[in-house]
Amino acid sequence: MFFLHNLERRVTLHPSYFGRNMHELVTTKLVKDVEGTCAGDYYIIAIMDAFDVSEGRILPGNGLAEFTVKYRAVVWRPFKGEVVDAIVFSINPHGFFCQAGPLSIFVSSHLMPEEIHFDPNATPPQFTNNADMVIEPGTHVRVKIGGLRTELGEMYAIGSINGDFLGCLQA
Amino acid sequence: MASNSWQFAGADDESDDDNFNPAPADMSDEENNENDEEHTHNHRPAGKTVRQASSPVPDEEEEEEEEHDEEEDARPAKRSRRDHHDDDEDEEQDEEENEEIDEEEEEEEEEDEDDEDDVHGGNRRKRRNKDRRAAFFDIEAEVDDEDEGEDEVGDGEEIEDFIDNAHPDDIADSGRLNDDRRHRELDRRREMEASLDAEKQAEILRERYGKRAPARGYGDMAIVPRRLLLPSVEDPSIWAVRCKEGKEREVIFSIMRRIEERMGTKNEVPITAAFERGGVNSVMKGYIYVEAQRQNDILVALDGILNVYPRSNMHLVEIKDMPDLLRVIKTPNLEPGAWVRLKKPAKHAGDLAQVIDVTENGLEARVRFIPRLDYGVRDDPVFQADGKRKRPGVPGPRPPQRLFSEAEARKRHLRHLQGNPQTNSWNYNGDDFENGFQVKDIKIQQLEVKNVNPTLEEVTKFASGAEDGTENLDLKALAATLKDSAKSVAYVPGDIIEVYEGEQQGVIGKATNVQGDIVTLQVTVGDLAGRTIDVPNKGLRKRFRIGDHVKVIGGSRFRDEVGMVVKIVDDRVTLLTDQTNTEITVFSKDLREASDIGGQGSLGQYSLLDLVQLDATTVGCIVKVDRESVVVLDQNGDTKQVQPSQITNKLPKRKFAVAADRDGSEIRLDDVVREHGGQQRQGKIIHIHRSYIFLHTTTTNENAGVFVTRANSVTTVAAKGGRNTATAGPDLSSMNPALKRNPAANGKQMPAPRTFGPDRAINQTVVIRRGGHKGLLGIVKDTTDTHARVELHSRGKIITIPKADLSFKDKTTGKTIDINQRGGSRGGFGGGGRGGGEFGSRTPMASGGSDRTPAWGSSRSTARTPAWNRDAGGSRTPAWNDGSRTVNPYDGSRTPYGGATAYGGIGSRTPAWHSGSRTPAPDGFGHGSKTPAWSAGSDSWGSKTPGYGASAPTPGASGDAWGVNSSSAYDAPTPGGGLSAPTPGAALNAPTPGAYSAPTPAAVSAPTPGAWQGGWGSGGDAVSAPTPGALGAPTPAAYYSAPTPAYGGAAETPGGAPGYADDD
Repeated sequence: MFFLHNLERRVTLHPSYFGRNMHELVTTKLVKDVEGTCAGDYYIIAIMDAFDVSEGRILPGNGLAEFTVKYRAVVWRPFKGEVVDAIVFSINPHGFFCQAGPLSIFVSSHLMPEEIHFDPNATPPQFTNNADMVIEPGTHVRVKIGGLRTELGEMYAIGSINGDFLGCLQA
Repeated sequence: MASNSWQFAGADDESDDDNFNPAPADMSDEENNENDEEHTHNHRPAGKTVRQASSPVPDEEEEEEEEHDEEEDARPAKRSRRDHHDDDEDEEQDEEENEEIDEEEEEEEEEDEDDEDDVHGGNRRKRRNKDRRAAFFDIEAEVDDEDEGEDEVGDGEEIEDFIDNAHPDDIADSGRLNDDRRHRELDRRREMEASLDAEKQAEILRERYGKRAPARGYGDMAIVPRRLLLPSVEDPSIWAVRCKEGKEREVIFSIMRRIEERMGTKNEVPITAAFERGGVNSVMKGYIYVEAQRQNDILVALDGILNVYPRSNMHLVEIKDMPDLLRVIKTPNLEPGAWVRLKKPAKHAGDLAQVIDVTENGLEARVRFIPRLDYGVRDDPVFQADGKRKRPGVPGPRPPQRLFSEAEARKRHLRHLQGNPQTNSWNYNGDDFENGFQVKDIKIQQLEVKNVNPTLEEVTKFASGAEDGTENLDLKALAATLKDSAKSVAYVPGDIIEVYEGEQQGVIGKATNVQGDIVTLQVTVGDLAGRTIDVPNKGLRKRFRIGDHVKVIGGSRFRDEVGMVVKIVDDRVTLLTDQTNTEITVFSKDLREASDIGGQGSLGQYSLLDLVQLDATTVGCIVKVDRESVVVLDQNGDTKQVQPSQITNKLPKRKFAVAADRDGSEIRLDDVVREHGGQQRQGKIIHIHRSYIFLHTTTTNENAGVFVTRANSVTTVAAKGGRNTATAGPDLSSMNPALKRNPAANGKQMPAPRTFGPDRAINQTVVIRRGGHKGLLGIVKDTTDTHARVELHSRGKIITIPKADLSFKDKTTGKTIDINQRGGSRGGFGGGGRGGGEFGSRTPMASGGSDRTPAWGSSRSTARTPAWNRDAGGSRTPAWNDGSRTVNPYDGSRTPYGGATAYGGIGSRTPAWHSGSRTPAPDGFGHGSKTPAWSAGSDSWGSKTPGYGASAPTPGASGDAWGVNSSSAYDAPTPGGGLSAPTPGAALNAPTPGAYSAPTPAAVSAPTPGAWQGGWGSGGDAVSAPTPGALGAPTPAAYYSAPTPAYGGAAETPGGAPGYADDD
């Protein structure tokens, strides 16, 4: 689910940037540093604005200036039970991996409808029910997130396509 | 009365009927007086309770049932009674009713006594036998005449009771004769049935008496709440009496004998029960338990019995502990294939063994285990050394576990060896060996059956024992063994637990407290939600949901794996491991919610993706870490499972390891490369070992995404960072706003000046100034634009080093030299440019320039100073500005020619300069080239001087600074440059393109045509060419692109200047 989230971050600036447009630089740096990263259990998708940039403080020792920036960002936090669309990028006999934006989701073969099975002889190998559903790298799938695991700077999820309206997206 | 009957419970051996009622103590009811009976009445329920609690003891009702059955064939009357009193409760009630009736009082008492007898069960059988004997003759009479029976001696009473109770009803219902006949008929029929099928009858009997304890317990439960059956204060107390350990049973038998002996005499043994629960492992060994009303009774009863010490130490067992005395601990069943540990042959104590078979009587098990044989190696020397017989039973250091080797055995003990090579079964020194394992019948007591916890390593030894080498692990048996381990289930507060057995089945809750076997649950689901209940941990299992992140704990071989649950079936949970993305299935008891991430990534010092040395020629990358082994992908692409002990050592990650890809570009750790042929796999380099590189990719999880290939078969996709900028500290060029705004102005992007002919650096002696090889001396063997391959003197190997990191030394003197100075003027500047505009490379040039030729000095003092001064003074003639701005980029990084020309264009300087520098042609060129650079440099250097500082504020000055900067990066980041920039005009303008461009037109426009003309005049042909270029200069692109050919052309035109022609 997407949220607008108020966040805060400390940004340091090299002395060579000191000047009139420092705030602009701070914002630029903030965007560069933060956008597209995973912060614990959510991803920072985009920064709307930095509405409060504090006064700079020179850090003793290296001369860098530190600013505390409060900003508003669009974040995506995947939830257990959330249904997302994803693109399959890897398949193995136990299931397939798909990517929903920055999030990598594993769909185990246990969490697929009964009739879908792994076909190792197809090229590329695929999951199929021998009918309309063929899951191979590049396929768009709709997946329900079953569990999430967060690591430092990364998130992993397992998903299920066992349910109504889940699975291949015919597009 | 109660005190007169005896009961012995052989607690050890429950199934043994004889032990329950061993004491024959019998007494006639008549002997009891009224008081006794009263007493009995009072205590009856309690007595019953006692029995109930101590389950092995037959309870009243059952006993009665028993009685009926045994007697049924013989006694129709009794049968009838039974028909009417199926329910024990009824009987009791009847009895109570009867009590009130005076007539029947006597009978009632008798019956009560009977009950009492039943309660203590001591004399039942005997009496019953008598009954049976009498039955054939007496039944009819008894049926007819209760009173007669009543008059009979004790044994008959029981029968009469039944008859008595039955009769009034019968009489009421129907005619007496009729009734009698029917009863007999019924009885006969039953008898027939019973006699027809002896087997069936046996079955019935077995059903009835085979499993006494449980059946009895449940039978009663239906009627009397269990707690009422527990002993109370009114019951006889139980004392624990010390006895000699191991003699418990003997003592009990002595007591039994004594009871028999004294039965019916004056000094009967005044205790109600005695039992023992000895045994090697019992915690109750060394005690017998005696039940009696008074402590003194025990002293009397045990007086003079051997091995028991009632006088020394006698504990009263608390009432609440009484039921525990008879609690039965189930002896575990041994199944073939199960794992056990040996206790007894001292040599093998603690060794793992596998059950092959269990004997019929369940006392011995045939097990196989790995022998510990020394094949007599140690025997003989010991014998000789001592000169006397080795004392048996003194275990020496025990030999290691090793499979039996026939060859070894043959060496010394050929005589003791016999067997069959075909079946590979041998007998050696009296022991049997099969397939290398020792096979032995061992008493079950000498086996450790519980908490075996075999490790994978141990079990593997058994598995690999198969002759064909195939692994034939019986994982099922292993799982069963592991599952039986008592400590295997450990609930921790916070666990989500489901009750799957027992009364509370289906309840789900969160454990809040765990004490011993009792788990306190905060119920979360169901009717009990919100309540807190205590449940024994027997019927519990942990509950997980799909998607939970769990860690494997406990005895599973997947211990420490962490993963996410993908499937749950009963208590089997399938999870996808984080580490290897594989699916494993474990019991839910072996799981717990994972709080930590990562999990098992290491085994000892070896962790996932480490590079390890397997043998002298083989290295491998760890791709999987198990509990006791690791899987390694070796350099040939093979995976193998190895024990940590098989790993020679771990190869530390060499950060500076460099290899060359198939294009000859260097590749390092963390670079992303792609296989050139084959599967075109792409991955990040995690290890470089000689010519092999280990790559890691996320697109596959085979071998944890690791694959190995040769360095020369990959192409670089993305080197980590820019190689040349890989310097310590912040990347200033990227951080500098000014440079970022004008990427084209970034000096380093300009190609190095072209030099012709072989690189002068080749064959030079150099010292490496930076990096891992810092300080080493070597000779340059080959160069590229940026790098040199240096053969190190010390190590005799050739490494690739950025040229900027080299310091050239004189071969003989060792002094630092500038090869480009020596070699030619043109290169001199080029060298500077190539060095990336670093201070280091330029400074000496500047100084070299200043002191090398007098011309320089003169030019500086004469020609230049005025210009400088003028400039500093704020006059800043457009010519100067123009000159510096326009020209600098070219002279900074391009041919010096242009620079010289530009400066020539400045007027006064040109002739002086040229005259001064030109004399030795190459040097003169060098000067020519250098002067503007130097002057440009001096601008920025000068920015620190007050003079320059004064001039700085003018926009022109900042424009100047930028002009200078444009040739190289070094000015801007220097504080000096920085200082100059912030001046109001500059600071604002510098970073913005507008600001930057602003001065340019000014500068461009500023030059008076004359100045320009003059400037270029000396250039001859060149004049026309550069001008448009310069004018077009405001756009950076034009700035660089346009002039180049122009200047190049100018430089090379013979018309430019004779001196320049020389240089080329």
